[in-house]
Amino acid sequence: MKTFALLPLSFALVLVLAACELDDKDKEGLKKDCSAPPPALKSAPQLPGNFPRAQGIVYTGVKKDGPTTIASGYLAQTIGPAHDTYSDAVKGAPGYSVTKEEQDAADAEVNFAGGGNTGQVKLLQTCKARTSVTITIRPA
Amino acid sequence: MTRVALIAAVTLALAACGGSGHARGKPLVIVVNAPFSRTPYLGRTIENGVRLAVGEVNAAGLRVGGTSYELRVQTKDSALSPARAVSNVRSAADEHAVAVVDEGTGIDASWRVARGLPICIVFAGGAGAVDPATRPNVFRIAPTDHGVAFRLAEYLIPKHLRIALLHDDSDYGAAGASALGAAFSQNRSSVAVDETVPADALDLGPQVLRARRAHATALLVWGRPATIASAIAAARSSGWDVPVFAPPTGADPFVRQQLADHPSWVNGLTFAGGRLTAEVGPGPFTSFEQRYEGAYGVDRVGVKTRAGQQVLEPPETAMYAYDFVNLLAAALLKAGSIDPGKVTRALEEVTTEGANGDERAFNRSNHEGVVDDDVYFARFSDMTYAPVKDDPLSATLPTIDQTR
Repeated sequence: MKTFALLPLSFALVLVLAACELDDKDKEGLKKDCSAPPPALKSAPQLPGNFPRAQGIVYTGVKKDGPTTIASGYLAQTIGPAHDTYSDAVKGAPGYSVTKEEQDAADAEVNFAGGGNTGQVKLLQTCKARTSVTITIRPA
Repeated sequence: MTRVALIAAVTLALAACGGSGHARGKPLVIVVNAPFSRTPYLGRTIENGVRLAVGEVNAAGLRVGGTSYELRVQTKDSALSPARAVSNVRSAADEHAVAVVDEGTGIDASWRVARGLPICIVFAGGAGAVDPATRPNVFRIAPTDHGVAFRLAEYLIPKHLRIALLHDDSDYGAAGASALGAAFSQNRSSVAVDETVPADALDLGPQVLRARRAHATALLVWGRPATIASAIAAARSSGWDVPVFAPPTGADPFVRQQLADHPSWVNGLTFAGGRLTAEVGPGPFTSFEQRYEGAYGVDRVGVKTRAGQQVLEPPETAMYAYDFVNLLAAALLKAGSIDPGKVTRALEEVTTEGANGDERAFNRSNHEGVVDDDVYFARFSDMTYAPVKDDPLSATLPTIDQTR
């Protein structure tokens, strides 16, 4: 019985150590000064389904991978405010809803449905004050 | 992320402290409705995932509304028959089970006879199976066909391949055909041929030959494992070295078992599946895998690498079943009741940490536990697979060890 009781504890320890290691790596990135941002697109792209334009988003690219539109850009914010910015933008857009969202130390995801599409906004803080944004939009 | 890991640690520690290993209480049955007789690996891995979680929940103790309960597991064989699957769910409801963990066969009828009993699909990804508005008692923790088909389209179309879409006439194949139809609808010029083939056919030579004559430069085979194995055998035995792509069934041990006499034919087979590890890294999944193997042993594929090592199958589907039982336990506590309606509503309000370290949760508007963007691609080499490097998500994922 004691052996059984120790097993979950050792697994728990592994989990904590693994998480700590990742957190350390993440935190290093969060402390880095930001280099020059990638160039902005001359005009904001018209995304499928009138996908909402979040406050402060700077678009740097948009492409089609088969049926799917992928837009990239950044926000001059840390991960928490950036997550809030996109969560609020999606929730505030007519016909759109957040289906699932999650935030970790340096990254966050806002999954959405609306405008005849589904998809995900992936956010990754790469330096002190910038969070990269990747928006994937698929026909529902 | 440390916070989540600490919660997991405390939960596990409490489980250990509270667990006498002889939990006692009123029995509360979880039914596993799966095709044990037709696809034994799938049935067994779902059952084992459920049993592993049930053991941990019982060890921690489950007290709901002032009553102590002991979760128990009852298996029912659907034999891939929708009628039998429906009958199984009906009897689960009659016998006052607390939930059904389901492979997915027959769900279009079984959700209704469940009379509000929560059902969680952990394998089939068909569209329409899950809809919180019309089927409030149906949940799913598995990649959706929509996600798999669109991710495959996103991966393959930019490569400028001419793709032969082959799908078998099983329920699984038909659902795949529908999903592929939607995913490739805007890019039909990428499709060389689109054909339905007989499920479990031993010889797909004529169909594969038609694909070759249509100048296909890739095969995308959506069907049961036997169909995928037959398509590969037909292509390779005719000397056609065309790349082959598949949905999650491409990783089923049966494909490799069928092609064991020609291991090189498996090389290059690429399948889409749900990522096994989360952003936190492989730690949580490895921990889960160790507990799984400690309880049930390894799932041997039945083939060896060139170096003679036994090949194992990581417990992916077991992970989904395991995660649902933990969500169910959290929902029972939240509901303070075993009433199916209350438990179903509570399932929309709880969050647990999944076996891979990611959050698992449903909500009122979403009963899908795996998002489309968590679909990755892996390619076989020497009877084991590794995430591909030419897809942004897959390239970030570690390779899970599959040999002993």
